[in-house]
Amino acid sequence: MNPPLIITIHGLLFLLLFSLSLIAFIVIRRLVIERQQVRFKRLYGQIERDVLEAISLLNQDFTLKVANRHKSHHRVLTQVLLDFGDIIVGEGRDQLRIIFNSVLKDRCLSHLASPWTTKRLQSIRLFIIFFDPSENTQLHRLLDDKPIVKLAVISALARIPSPETMRYVFKAFEEDTGTTVRSYLNIMFSLGNRIEPLVKAHLKKPLSAEKLGLLVELAGAIPLRSLYEEINALAGHPDKEIRIKVARTLGKLLLPESVQTLVSLAADATWEVQAQAVKSLGKLRDRDTLDILTGSLFSPFWYVRYNAGYGLCELGEEGIRRLKKVAAQKEDRYARDMSVMVLNDLIYSSEAA
Amino acid sequence: MNAILHAAFHAIGIIILIYFFLINGFYFLFTILSLVGIFHHRNLSTYVSFKEVFRLPLIKPISIIATAYNEEVTIIESVRSLLSLEYPNYEVIVVNDGSTDRTLDNLITIFRLQKSKRVFRKVVDHKPVKGIYASPSFPKLIVIDKVNGRKADALNAGLNVSRYPLFCAVDADSLLEKSALLKIVRPFLEDPERTIAAGGIIRLSNGCTFKDGQLSQVRMPRNFLARFQVIEYFRAFLGGRIGLSMLKSLLIISGAFGLFRKDVALQCGGYRTGTIGEDLDLIVRMRRHLHNMRKPFEVRFIPDPICWTEAPETLRSLSRQRNRWHRGLLDTIRYNRIMLFNPRYGVTGLFALPFYFVFEMLGPLIELAGYVTFLVCMILGQVNTPFALLFFLLAVVLGTLLSLLAVLIEEYSSHRYPRLRDILIIALFSLLENVIYRQWLSIVRVLAFFDFAKGKQEWGAMEKKGFARPAET
Repeated sequence: MNPPLIITIHGLLFLLLFSLSLIAFIVIRRLVIERQQVRFKRLYGQIERDVLEAISLLNQDFTLKVANRHKSHHRVLTQVLLDFGDIIVGEGRDQLRIIFNSVLKDRCLSHLASPWTTKRLQSIRLFIIFFDPSENTQLHRLLDDKPIVKLAVISALARIPSPETMRYVFKAFEEDTGTTVRSYLNIMFSLGNRIEPLVKAHLKKPLSAEKLGLLVELAGAIPLRSLYEEINALAGHPDKEIRIKVARTLGKLLLPESVQTLVSLAADATWEVQAQAVKSLGKLRDRDTLDILTGSLFSPFWYVRYNAGYGLCELGEEGIRRLKKVAAQKEDRYARDMSVMVLNDLIYSSEAA
Repeated sequence: MNAILHAAFHAIGIIILIYFFLINGFYFLFTILSLVGIFHHRNLSTYVSFKEVFRLPLIKPISIIATAYNEEVTIIESVRSLLSLEYPNYEVIVVNDGSTDRTLDNLITIFRLQKSKRVFRKVVDHKPVKGIYASPSFPKLIVIDKVNGRKADALNAGLNVSRYPLFCAVDADSLLEKSALLKIVRPFLEDPERTIAAGGIIRLSNGCTFKDGQLSQVRMPRNFLARFQVIEYFRAFLGGRIGLSMLKSLLIISGAFGLFRKDVALQCGGYRTGTIGEDLDLIVRMRRHLHNMRKPFEVRFIPDPICWTEAPETLRSLSRQRNRWHRGLLDTIRYNRIMLFNPRYGVTGLFALPFYFVFEMLGPLIELAGYVTFLVCMILGQVNTPFALLFFLLAVVLGTLLSLLAVLIEEYSSHRYPRLRDILIIALFSLLENVIYRQWLSIVRVLAFFDFAKGKQEWGAMEKKGFARPAET
């Protein structure tokens, strides 16, 4: 036999063996998982019944008994706690916390140092639900972990919105770069109004345009009305994206004093800012802006006309009267068509109602 | 003379051998990367549940654009499925691309559509719009009725009418899973500046049953051709695209389900109406545009948002579909040939496009050349028969192994086929696929070269059965 033939035979045998082992692995894995699932389902049902009873009885001794009864099935118990922990609050969650503290906490703490990301993340998720401020230090260790783990830890810390935790979140936001930055927005959003002083301080810092923009959007999403002055001051920012976000946020803050700023943004050099400012003006429902909105219907930019049309709709009868007037004129067919569309839509929505 | 012939066949043999090892090496690499990617993705989903994405404060609204041409059998079910997706803010734009059957009539009757006076910006060109319809009962739904201009043209019309910054292109004969949008939007939330497109996974609905526009039971199709395609889709999406995405070389987001940034698509002039491979073409042009602008970007593949679509079950429909796909690839590569091996276009020019050029475009030609050379050599008595047979077996087993690895990735990811029997059928068909079916597909794709040279632009209709309901099975 020549060498190429020998190599081919060996290669073929190796690949055949590999393929067969792979099929065997897939099939065995499937069978094992199916058996595990059946067992898991059965145990889950039993534990679920007991946990629900503990939640309804609110008796610490009974809850401890339930915890001890099922302590050997920690995987299923973890899943039950994860499922219930997200939806049960108040005294019910206290019972879940008792089970967690007595059976799963130590295991969970050891898993925080596991080399497997999945285990670390699962443990952090449990901490997110049953967080105890005394465990802060355990979690702080993970703040230098992978971005995803770090974010999970910050989410956990954010469950107890102490001033220290919030400072942590903002510090991490300031330091982090790359794709995780936007994820902080979600965490900060969950902290609500209490982050107002920190947002205020950070709006004055020399942050990147992306981070600054996120804070501006956050102020609108919560909304943080007391930050009006800071947001307003950014209306003249050289970055177009920031001006767009300022216009959007002012529309969400719904403060009458922001009309002037929005009027000036409606005359911005870029159409994107104009469109957003016109949209926000509509939301403010200030009758003094009727002329500006009507004028914007004649803008050369489609989105500006679109937002002006729906903005006039928000202004009630007088807005609709203006729309009808524009729909009847013949000089500008683009303004006319937009008005007709908005009026048509209005008929549909009232039909649907 | 004999010596020259021998030397020539020897040289061809070596080239084919090198090609064989290279292509399989690359596919093996993609599959291994895909396995790593799947584990990473599983970690991510452990941490963030999709319900949390739903509550995000700055989630971007999406325009779903579904193009329909003679889809009377599936259109109602598809639109119902699109209207029942879990997503906070979206609109559904169905573009009836001059259907000659009852597609529009069915839509008007079932969704109580009325003519709308909607105006839109004509940013990209398309064939005239005959009418726009809206429904007071389904405010998310807009139907555009236009003169037939093929899929790219219909998508352009949808792009013009759409209102939101992200658009999701779907086929009207496909069904999206309820959480598909929430899952596919994720890269746009994580990295909104750089992400320009994201694709989900396409699975075949043949053999599955559907209820109220949603999947109720997953089964392997009975049709052999559909079974082969199930494996092909596994390999392409689970084994290939995750890996290519990790290498930043993903050039195709399936036309049946993809999410795109509208501003970038419009900057590129929308879909190119002269092509039939509009999905591949758009991504390549978006990449080209952003390379020219020197802007960083990402095209991502997400393995869990699932779109179910019907695969052709006859040789005629399948050959038409594959012929069309290959003509689309040829056209896109020809149109963007300036990018090939051009360092100005980074990884796209130096790896992604050359890979598609050498292995996807020329692949069938080289494969067929291999078979022809083998036959000629056999006639001329120049073949070492045991070696040739063993080598053919090796190629079959290697192909099977790649398919099995894709099955393994499926088992670790969404695990959609609940019956062990289905997995065993897949394993068996992974082996069978490499004999006759694969060779037949190579011939079909080689014929596409001739059709392309002749300038054939035909789309080729596919007979549809529609989505099976439980009572029908």
